Amino acid sequence: MGREVSESCIDSLLIEMVSTYCNRFYANKPELAARRIEAIGYQVGHQLSERYTMERPRFSDHLEAIKFICKDFWSELFKKQIDNLKTNHRGTFVLQDNRFRWLTRMSIDQSPENGASEDPSIMADEKAVESMHLYFPCGIIRGALSNLGIPCAVSADISNLPACSFVIRIKA
Amino acid sequence: MIVCVAVVGHQNNPLYIQSFTDADDALKLHHIVHCSLDVVDERVNNPKKSGPTLNETFLGLLYPTENYKVYGYLTNTKVKFILVTTDLDVRDADVRNVSIIVPCIELYYKSMNL
Repeated sequence: MGREVSESCIDSLLIEMVSTYCNRFYANKPELAARRIEAIGYQVGHQLSERYTMERPRFSDHLEAIKFICKDFWSELFKKQIDNLKTNHRGTFVLQDNRFRWLTRMSIDQSPENGASEDPSIMADEKAVESMHLYFPCGIIRGALSNLGIPCAVSADISNLPACSFVIRIKA
Repeated sequence: MIVCVAVVGHQNNPLYIQSFTDADDALKLHHIVHCSLDVVDERVNNPKKSGPTLNETFLGLLYPTENYKVYGYLTNTKVKFILVTTDLDVRDADVRNVSIIVPCIELYYKSMNL
């Protein structure tokens, strides 16, 4: 399957997609925008997992499937593997990527030197915008896992850019 | 020669069934494919310790009927490919290695634009 696409195109497309959904389509309803973006990611992840598991032997359990996501799936998508995988062995996995490719172009805003009064709202807005950008990869992971037969819920956590972690909770 | 190819989705819903013989045989072939789905599920849930491991995608000969042999292949996403053939001297290895199953799978991916 030798199709190629330019990476800057993907970056621009994703940024534009998030901005369109948040500012034009669902201008005052960020939850709806987030759900739509996540649904797009779900479709993409569904089909990508179909493609990338083509020749592989089947997975024996959930951990194998998550390891596939961390290694092969992530390296096909982002040319690197997940840096850290943690689990509580009871259906929750935390995947940490220390330099998430789609967030590298996003500015890490330092706190402004003046005006402590405007800090909290601005910081909250920025966090909201950044988290919007993570719904798409969450959807991708959820779609990939559900195509492998593992229904789950995925959320993302950006406490320190450009590292981000994805929390996968498998529905029992 | 191959008389029937079927692609079955992950909820055992038929995605594509094509038989290559005269029309009056088609229903019988559909029945054979339907029965072989049960065999696939059995193979997946009760792995034989001596046989192929749980992780094999190619399930090999599922079961022989009076005139036909049925082969199965299961992908990671639970899509099943069922192949019914009348060739009595075709071996497991042939179907597995020789390009019989693999072109089917590649065509499936191409047609789904994957």
